[in-house]
Amino acid sequence: MTKDWYKDAIFYEVHVKAFFDADGNGIGDFTGLTASLDYLRDLGVDCVWILPMYPSPLRDDGYDIADFYGIHPDYGTVEDFQKFLDAAHARGLRVIADLVMNHTSDQHAWFQSSRSDPAGPYGDWYVWSDTDQRYRDVRIIFIDTERSNWAWDPVRKQYYWHRFFSHQPDLNYDNPAVRAAMLDVMRFWLDRGLDGFRCDAVPYLIERNGTSCENLTETHDLLKSVRGVIDEEYGGDRILLAEANQWPEDVRPYFGDGDEFHMSFHFPLMPRLYMAIRREDRLPITDIFTHTPPIPPACQWCLFLRNHDELTLEMVTNEERDYMYYAYASDPHMKLNLGIRRRLAPLMDNDRRRIELLNCLLLTLPGSPIIYYGDEIGMGDNIYLGDRNGVRTPMQWSSNRNADFSTADASRLYLPVINDPVYGYQAVNVAAQAKQPSSLLNTTKRLIAVRKSSRAFGRGTIEFLRPRNQTVLAFVRAWRDETILVVANLSARSQPVEIDLSPYRGATLFELLGETRFPTVGAGPYFLSLGPHGFYWFRLEPPERTVRYGIEDSAI
Amino acid sequence: MSEPSGDRAEGPAAPEGRAAAPEGRAAAPEGRAAAPEGRAAAPEGVDDLGPGVGEALERLRPRDLAVGMLTYNNAETAAAVAQSAVRGIEQYLPGTSAVILSVDTGSVDGTPDTLVGPSAVPVVSMVHQARLAERLTVPFHGVPGRSEALRRTLAASHRLGARALVLLEADLASPPPEWVARLALPVLEDKAGFVAPVYARHRYEGTITNLLLAPLIRALYGRRVRQPFGGEQALSGRLVDHLLIHPQWDWRSDDLSDVWVLGTAIADGFSVWETWLGRRTIRSRARTTDLPSMLAQTLGAVFAVMHRHQDLWLDVRGSEPLPEVGERVLPAVDPIEVDVPRMIEGFRLGLRDLVPIWEHILAPETLGDVLSLETVDPAEFRFPDDVWARVAYDFALGYHYDVVYRDHLLRSLAPLYLGRTAAFVRQTQGRSAEATEAMLDAVGAAFERQKPYLTDRWR
Repeated sequence: MTKDWYKDAIFYEVHVKAFFDADGNGIGDFTGLTASLDYLRDLGVDCVWILPMYPSPLRDDGYDIADFYGIHPDYGTVEDFQKFLDAAHARGLRVIADLVMNHTSDQHAWFQSSRSDPAGPYGDWYVWSDTDQRYRDVRIIFIDTERSNWAWDPVRKQYYWHRFFSHQPDLNYDNPAVRAAMLDVMRFWLDRGLDGFRCDAVPYLIERNGTSCENLTETHDLLKSVRGVIDEEYGGDRILLAEANQWPEDVRPYFGDGDEFHMSFHFPLMPRLYMAIRREDRLPITDIFTHTPPIPPACQWCLFLRNHDELTLEMVTNEERDYMYYAYASDPHMKLNLGIRRRLAPLMDNDRRRIELLNCLLLTLPGSPIIYYGDEIGMGDNIYLGDRNGVRTPMQWSSNRNADFSTADASRLYLPVINDPVYGYQAVNVAAQAKQPSSLLNTTKRLIAVRKSSRAFGRGTIEFLRPRNQTVLAFVRAWRDETILVVANLSARSQPVEIDLSPYRGATLFELLGETRFPTVGAGPYFLSLGPHGFYWFRLEPPERTVRYGIEDSAI
Repeated sequence: MSEPSGDRAEGPAAPEGRAAAPEGRAAAPEGRAAAPEGRAAAPEGVDDLGPGVGEALERLRPRDLAVGMLTYNNAETAAAVAQSAVRGIEQYLPGTSAVILSVDTGSVDGTPDTLVGPSAVPVVSMVHQARLAERLTVPFHGVPGRSEALRRTLAASHRLGARALVLLEADLASPPPEWVARLALPVLEDKAGFVAPVYARHRYEGTITNLLLAPLIRALYGRRVRQPFGGEQALSGRLVDHLLIHPQWDWRSDDLSDVWVLGTAIADGFSVWETWLGRRTIRSRARTTDLPSMLAQTLGAVFAVMHRHQDLWLDVRGSEPLPEVGERVLPAVDPIEVDVPRMIEGFRLGLRDLVPIWEHILAPETLGDVLSLETVDPAEFRFPDDVWARVAYDFALGYHYDVVYRDHLLRSLAPLYLGRTAAFVRQTQGRSAEATEAMLDAVGAAFERQKPYLTDRWR
C-alpha cells in the first residue's frame, strides 16, 4: 500500500443526504450510501469525499457543525457510518470527510457555553470583542448576506468574529485548548478508519490586527502541527486536503515543505477551463499554469469542474468575471455571491462533446480529479431553489418515482428531484445510461479507466506545447518511462494542428481511448485533425529497439 | 567514360515476345533532331504547374537539359545537389543550356529557400503539397507525393522543350559534378531514351534490390537493370512526351511511377542504358530503414504495375544486359558486420507465426519447400534460387488475386527475405567479388527460368 495513494486517486464528492435514502424518510443516509458503493467502485472511484455529516442545524448545509462527535440523525448513527466505512474499505475504496476547523454552529455546546459563561472553560474558545472595529480591513466572503465579519451576541453582550455566516462563530485557535480539542475530534474519526479530512476554510484560522487575517504564518504553523500529529499517530497514509480558495502562489504555502497539507484545490484553474472552452482559446489554461508554482513532490493538486458550492469566481479578474457571467449566467437566478450556481451539464448547454472535453481536461491536467456526484450522468440543476441547493438535489438513479432516490412521498424529499424535460430524472438517470454503451456515464467510466492505466496522469510533469492553432491545447505529461500527449480541440469546429514533437522523433503514438496506433513521429511537425471539441490521449511509445541485421541502411 | 557496350542504341527492338508497341502508342525511337517545335501540342496536365511557373518556363525555353529535383525536408543537402549539378554542367556539358526544376512536396525545414539565389543555371521552383497521409508515413524514397511531383517535373521539362531530363535525388550527400553528365550524355548524344544508374556498392548493400527487385525486373521486362529504384536517372525528351500523353497511368495515385516509367520505356522500345556513377551516400531524415516497410513499398510498386499493366511484361521471355557507360566497379567484399543468425531467427519466427498467412499466398508445393528450409545448424542454411523465385511469384499472384490484405501480404514476405538474404551471405562469405556477381546473376536467371510458373497462373 503506497502512502501517496492520493496522487493517483479519483475522488468523488457526495452529500450523504443526496445519494440514496434507505429508510424512506426523504433524506439520504449512510445505509443508502453503503448500498451504493458498488456503483462508485464500478465508476472507477478510489476515494469518496463525504460532505459534512455531523449534527447540525443545517443553516449552511452541515458546514455549521453542532457536534463534531456525532452523525446527523437524518443520516444515521456513528454505527451506520462505521458500517459504511468498513464496506468501502472492503471494496478498496477510501473515504475522507469534511471537517470544518474554522468555526462551529452557534448551536454547538462550545459556543453556548462560551456565550453564557465568559469566565468558564469555553469562555475563550471563540473570538470575542467589545467592538466591531477590529480587523476592519478583512474582506467579507458572503457579500450577499453578511454586512460585517462581527455579530453582536445579546447574551454575552460582545461581538463575535465570523468569516462566514453570522451563525457560524470562528473558533479561537490562539487558545491551546481549542487546538487540542480539534485534534481530539480528528483522532475520533481517524480511529474509526477514516482516510483523511477535507479541511474547510483553512486560511482563516488565526486573526491578527493589521492583516487580512488570511494565510497567516501562525495559521500555517498550526496546520503543520496538526499534520505532524496525524502522521505520527496514524502511519502517514491519512491525508489532509485543504480548501483554500486563493491564488496558486498563496495556496503554495499550505503544502509547506511537504509537511502541511497533502493536497489542495486548484481554484483558479476551474473557471479558466470554462473560459477556454467558451473563448475557444487555450490561453486561459496555459496562462494559469505559468502562475502555478511547483509543489513538493509528496503533494498534489486537486482538480474539479464543479462542487457543492457555486462555481466560484473569486480567483478571476473583474473583466473575466463579467465574461463568465455573460457566458454562463444569463439568468440572474444563476448568480450567487461571486459565482454561478449551476451544474456541469447545464453550464455546457448539455453538449456532450463539451462535457466530455471538460472531463478530459479534468482527468489529464496535473492533479487528482474530483467528480461531483451526478455530473457523471449529466444531472441538471434547479436555479430557483435557494442558496446552493439547486446543485444539491437528489441523485437520479432511474426513471421511477423520485428517481429511485427515496420511497418517501415526493413532498417529503429534502429537495425536489430535478424534473424538467431536459435534465429530469426520466431523461437523465443511472439505470438508463448504464444500459447505453455510449452514454455519458459509460464514457466517463471509460475516461477514468484509461486515466488509471497510466500513472503519468497523476504524477507526471507537464509541458505545454505551443502549436500555431490557438484553439488546440496540447501538453505532454511525463513520469519515469511513461510519456502521455494530450491534444484537445477547444473549438466547436474541426481543427487541424501541427505539433512539434521533434523531441520524440521515432516514437509511435498510441491513442489510449480508441486503442489505435497512429503514425510514427517523423522529422517534421506532427499533423493531426480534431473534430469539434475532440481530444486524443496518446501514449508516446519509444521506437522499438530495432533489430539490426546490418543491411537496413542500404537495402534498396 | 567508356563507350556504350550495347549495339542497339536506338529503335523499338522489343525483347523477344513483344513484337511491337501496342497499337495506338507512339513507340518513338530516339534520334530526333532535338526540335521542340516539332512536338505535338502540350500533353494533358502540363499546364497546372502552379502560379507563375508556366510563364517562367516560357521565358526559359528552349533548353537542352532540365535537371529535376524532388524535395521534401532536404534543407541539409538540396542546395549542394543543385550546385553540384551546376558545376557538372559547366565542366562537362559546356554550351548546354540548362535549367533546374525543383518540386517540393511539403517541406517544413525551408528546403525551397535553400534553392533560391544566384545561380549560373536558372532554377524554377514548383510546389506540390503531398497529402497528409503520405507526409505522415514517408515512403522509402523519402519524397511523399513522388508520382505527382515527378509528373510536374516531366511536364515542366516538356514545356521547356528539353532534350534530356536528369533526375537527381535531393538527399544525396556531396554528389560528384560529373554525375549529371554521366546521366545526361547518353540521352543528349541520342543514344538512350532512358538511363538508369548503377552504384558502386558493397555486396551486402542493396539486398532487396539484388535479390528481389532486379531479378524480378529482369524476368518481367527482359532487361538486366541493376538498380531499378535508383532515383538518379535520365529521360529523353521523347520519352517524357510519351509518358505524359500515356492514357493508362494515373500520376495522382499512390503507386510509384518510377517502375512504370522504366517498364514503359523498355516495353515501348526506348533504348534503356545504364551509367556507372560510383559510390552514393544518402543523408536523409525521411527515408525509412524499416525492412518490412521497404519491402512492402518497393515490391508493392512492382506488383502494382504488374497488376495494372500486364501488357508490359506478360509475353516477355529471356533477358539481355543493358548498354552501359562509365567505369564498371565490382562490388566491395571487405568484411562488414551482418547478423546472419538473427536473420535466420527472423526467418524462423516467420515459420512459427506466419504460416497461416502464407497458406493463402504460397502454392502448396512452394510452402512445402519453404517449410523444409528450417535447419538446426545456421551454417547449413540454404535457400535455393528457384524456390525463392517461386516464392516471389506466388506473392505477385497473391497480390494480383488479392488473396490477403495487400499490405499484410507484402510485409509477410519479410521473414522469407531475411532467410534468403541470410543464405546469400552464408553463400558468399569468403568468396570473391566475381563469384558474388555470378551468384546474383544466378538469382536473376532463376527468376527468368521460373517465369512460366508465373505466367501460367496469371489470368
